[in-house]
Amino acid sequence: MLLEIKNLKVKYGNIEALHGISFTVDQGEIVTLIGANGAGKTTTLNTITRVPPPEGPKVWEGDILYKGQSILSMEPHEVVQKLKIALAPEGRHIFGNLSVEENLKLATYARTDEAKIQEDYKLVYRLFPRLYERRKQRSESLSGGEQQMLAVGRAIMTGANFLLLDEPSMGLAPLLMYEMFKALKELNQKEGMTILLIEQNAKLALEFAHRGYVLDTGEIVLSGSSQELLNSPEVKKAYLGG
Amino acid sequence: MRKLTVPLLVIGLFALLIGLAYYDKIDLYTQSVLMFMGINIIFGSSLNIVNGYMGEFSCGHAGFMAVGAYVSSILSVLFFAQDRVFGAPLLPPQYAIYGFPIIVIIAFIAAALAGLLVALPSFKTRGDYLAIITIAANYIIISTIINIDAIGGPRGFMGMKSVIFAMEDVVYLPWMLIWVYIFTILSIWAIYRFVNSTYGKGIVAIHQDEVAAEIMSVNTNKMKLVAFMFSSGLAGVAGALFAHVLGYINPNSFNILKSTEALVMVYLGGMGSLSGSILAAILFTFLLELLRPLQIIKWVVIPLLLIILMQFRPEGIMGNKELSDIFPRLKKFYQFK
Repeated sequence: MLLEIKNLKVKYGNIEALHGISFTVDQGEIVTLIGANGAGKTTTLNTITRVPPPEGPKVWEGDILYKGQSILSMEPHEVVQKLKIALAPEGRHIFGNLSVEENLKLATYARTDEAKIQEDYKLVYRLFPRLYERRKQRSESLSGGEQQMLAVGRAIMTGANFLLLDEPSMGLAPLLMYEMFKALKELNQKEGMTILLIEQNAKLALEFAHRGYVLDTGEIVLSGSSQELLNSPEVKKAYLGG
Repeated sequence: MRKLTVPLLVIGLFALLIGLAYYDKIDLYTQSVLMFMGINIIFGSSLNIVNGYMGEFSCGHAGFMAVGAYVSSILSVLFFAQDRVFGAPLLPPQYAIYGFPIIVIIAFIAAALAGLLVALPSFKTRGDYLAIITIAANYIIISTIINIDAIGGPRGFMGMKSVIFAMEDVVYLPWMLIWVYIFTILSIWAIYRFVNSTYGKGIVAIHQDEVAAEIMSVNTNKMKLVAFMFSSGLAGVAGALFAHVLGYINPNSFNILKSTEALVMVYLGGMGSLSGSILAAILFTFLLELLRPLQIIKWVVIPLLLIILMQFRPEGIMGNKELSDIFPRLKKFYQFK
């Protein structure tokens, strides 16, 4: 088991956002967490990447194991650097007044494997040719979809082999959304990248992932393979509109 | 060739300046203004690391300058000068030429350590809180010095001039002018390399988005400490030079008003612009001299100018751009790295 979330309870101040959720992600898998607004999806990802309070959530109970080791005592930069888990955060959090290239370069901040870095640049530019076209442009002048690509590209550039993606389809036009998921699929199949994806667009996410979990107000209510979930009446009713 | 333009230009200007001073082509007054200009360049651009590039708000920069000034003065008097309190010099005064740069480096280290002491408790705070903590630190440092009678307390400390005279006895050169500009050039080079390195880009990332910096594997806590220590250490260098140029220091020369001068230079030049800080330091030094006849009224005029600047150009003279961004043609003539 690569990543194991065990009975995780998380609070923001006094408000409990996750009421004890458990799920697992295996090496090379694409797993998706789907759920409505406020279900606790982003909280889950921020907890895994250890984003600190005050912005970040506080773990109340439970544990997060990566390759069998608890990661709760780690700092966010250690999670990226040592465990190679990278987050493409909600709202993108790109560095607006740096160029696309500089954003990507900054992601290699803690890396020393020069040859692999060059390969990763090529990989990112192959997956997202638009980023290559705009590599000299200030990143705040990119369109929303391109910024999202940059956020994902930046996560790849950290040298991660495990990506946490927070709503990569948010604010994307259908065509860009398709491009994005095609790139992610390729990343998973060719590079063996493990992906944990959270999405509001349940249909899209389930068609793309191998397995899924349905999160509802801080609890996991349903789990199974993507096919099972797509066919389950509850999911159909709640998220797929009939 | 392009690589060498800037170093050659700098060395040429440096040699010209020393030559003019050596053959008495520029008088002592002009020399002292030029020296304060160099010190202001170090003082202002070092604060720009924290306030400009990192986007925090430190306003006790003069406190670290005081640490550097006092540490270096005490050491140089102790080692190279006859003094009422410290007695005979520990080393023959003619070694002062070699000793002085080492003393300035020790001043850097001492001020950086003082910076560490201030930065540690303010670790988790940002913005306004850091401002309050640094103001408090500025006061603590000054009060500490005032209450140590051995180094003169409120009367101040002197005797550094005889160290400079000792250098001039060995080789007759305008030594302080040389030291000031050597350290100015070194400081600017160090800041330039720091903020343009991948490592230093970490502070730019912190400025923009601390959470994003953290998930991009920047150790934000450590980076803030390093930047703060680097900045306060350079303030210490400015202090050491200041003390030796004047030959006399007094705790009250490093009060909040002095810190404000550094802030004025940073905001006048533009936050996050090294060339802006240098330009602002030069302008500010000249402005102070030009307005000298106005005496106390100058402290009405200068804040007024600052208010006008904030109204009409809140990003400062250069914004966060460098000279080469505004005049791209300059890039033809030089190339760094």
